[in-house]
Amino acid sequence: MSRAEFSYDFPHRHLVSVADLNPVDIQIIFERAAHHLAANRTPDKRTDVLRGLTVLNLFFEASTRTQGSFEMAGKRLGADVVNFAMANSSASKGESLSDTARTLAAMKPDIMVVRHSATGAPQFLAERTGLSVVNAGDGMHEHPTQALLDSFTLAQHWGSVGGRRILIVGDILHSRVARSNIGLLNILGAEIRLCAPPTLLPSDVDQWGCDVFHDLDEALKGCDAVMALRQQRERMTGGFVPSEREFFHLFGLTHERLEAASPDVLVMHPGPMNRGVEIHTKLADDPDKSVILDQVESGVAVRMAILELIGGNIRKEAAA
Amino acid sequence: MSTTRAIINARLVDPASGHDGPGGVLIEDGLIAQTGNELDLDAADDVIDARGCILAPALIDLRCAKEAALTPDGETLDTLCASAMTGGFGTIVLAPNARSPLDNADGFAGMNRGLAQRGVRVLSACGATQGLAGEQMAEIGLMVRGGAVYAGCGDAPIHDARLMRRLLSYTSQFDVWLASRPADPHLAKGAVALESDWSARFGLPAEPAVSERIAIERDAALAELSGGKLMIDRLSTAAGLDALRHVRSRDLEIATTVAIAHLTLNEVDAGGLDSAFRMDPPLRSEADRLALVDAIISGEIDAVVSDHRPTPFDDKGEPFALAIAGTLSLETMLGAMLGLVHDDELELVDALRVMTSGPADLIGLPQGRIAVGAPADLILIDGDKPWVCQPDAFASARGNSAWAGRRFQGRVLQTIVAGDTLYNS
Repeated sequence: MSRAEFSYDFPHRHLVSVADLNPVDIQIIFERAAHHLAANRTPDKRTDVLRGLTVLNLFFEASTRTQGSFEMAGKRLGADVVNFAMANSSASKGESLSDTARTLAAMKPDIMVVRHSATGAPQFLAERTGLSVVNAGDGMHEHPTQALLDSFTLAQHWGSVGGRRILIVGDILHSRVARSNIGLLNILGAEIRLCAPPTLLPSDVDQWGCDVFHDLDEALKGCDAVMALRQQRERMTGGFVPSEREFFHLFGLTHERLEAASPDVLVMHPGPMNRGVEIHTKLADDPDKSVILDQVESGVAVRMAILELIGGNIRKEAAA
Repeated sequence: MSTTRAIINARLVDPASGHDGPGGVLIEDGLIAQTGNELDLDAADDVIDARGCILAPALIDLRCAKEAALTPDGETLDTLCASAMTGGFGTIVLAPNARSPLDNADGFAGMNRGLAQRGVRVLSACGATQGLAGEQMAEIGLMVRGGAVYAGCGDAPIHDARLMRRLLSYTSQFDVWLASRPADPHLAKGAVALESDWSARFGLPAEPAVSERIAIERDAALAELSGGKLMIDRLSTAAGLDALRHVRSRDLEIATTVAIAHLTLNEVDAGGLDSAFRMDPPLRSEADRLALVDAIISGEIDAVVSDHRPTPFDDKGEPFALAIAGTLSLETMLGAMLGLVHDDELELVDALRVMTSGPADLIGLPQGRIAVGAPADLILIDGDKPWVCQPDAFASARGNSAWAGRRFQGRVLQTIVAGDTLYNS
């Protein structure tokens, strides 16, 4: 079913959670992202569809790749992109988040890209300021653009994600990437498997519409893609696994273990990667299996698509 | 002010005696002189015809807080008392908390004498450990002599089982309750929500309900060992209630309170991650809430507390997980409890018992009942009057209310303490 059969425009002014998206919204994002992906490979990357709009990058947690990816996406669309390094600014001087939000809103930006250690902070900022907000990761809750770029990467290889068997292995409990991916892959009709030690799984995970495994070899059987997740040491209190060595032996991805999966299995990782902990270094660098760098490339294209669609709706609202 | 007053033709509800029927009271010199339908009205200077109204003992709250003196725009003793009398309270107890640990015996008696001048009867508990740090015992004996009505551990449980044993043992010589939050310190560490389907999806740091059960079993075992009196300070889960039933099968002195938030709200209320619903203990499941309501009917809960907690920003200034915990509740507690009555979850007399004679009996107060010789601390209620909770209209200095915008049915018309009307709507 093609979108052309409908008269439907991307309706959103925010991207806080993948749960806000329907399959058609996702299809629209992917169509625009495919366009940008192709354009990004040419020397004429820059357009000016967002000229006149200001994108604020508000990263309350340190980030290199996501912040850089959003910055590049905004600039390639012609927006003015301003990075506020919030990790060591007014927040550390005791200002409340609502005051910070009001202060920044007074500078009249159009879109805020927000990363924060607390669940719900992007929604909180959207409610307090009325500005468009893109969630770039909130606590252990969601990281919707990561999930979109993951599925987009897979869709580039397969055409469609629906019906495919995808395994997420590693620290599910502390992972906002996993929560967003589970939500999105469910919307897209993929078969989701999770594999982790019980200490790194949420208590009610059996209700999330996924098959849950503690044995990686069992979990890998027939998988079309496998996504390794890093252990989020910064969100952990106390030990969840005895050692990285033990984790690698039980849950680390290697060429040998992938024998159980589909022969064309794709290996993904949202980064940053701990080689030798969740993934063998040779596998991470194997161009026949690993799509880790494709994910990074897709990231810019998907974020361009989102900023473009949201920017278009901001303009429409202003005109109306 | 007249010294002899009468209230007649009311629906008199006295949970202490179980009476619920037509009646009135005659008040002389601040005490109840007669009750019933045939009062000697000749001597009364002032007769209130309370037809259609409920006459009940004024409410008693064992756990509320003001803000530290000189806090700009803060909840002072004045605004706290105004809030209390608006909500129908005749007696409130200041409980220790991190910002105001009530752990200093110097001046404790003087402070309590000052509190007694407020119209509303303001009492004070004392902190059980220095700075509520859970390490060194505070001078509990001196503070009990200075008027402390129980010893409390604040919002955090005591980590160290040996210290908990000693606190229970030491307080037993003064015959006062030791109030302790039932939570396993490690399971509850950093938690802002109940461990549940909802909190797991949002990735919120969460505490499993068994945390409460573990703490109750530990503290009850220590109370048994030491002979102390344990007050379970804000039971909130069905798992905790199971543990309570289990430990009560032994012959122990255990009292239990529940906060009004846990009786009338659940985690779904916080579903939109509204910081107003950030509580400590966190809001629980609907099954937990229903179990607590049932425990009131069966008499297993001694007192419902307001856990009234003013916070500096009305919107708390931060997203849910970072927001200061707590809500104002003195002005909405009766409305919220009457909501349970209107919804047929509770009988009126049961709802009132845990706000009047229940807490009074725990700390040995003569008020909280309508009986000859008892202090004339009374409220008149219009049980059906509809109103909407608007924090801007609160007598409290702050506005952080989890009930903002809620519709209530039933409101205080008059709050009378020692025979004097302190609040008249």
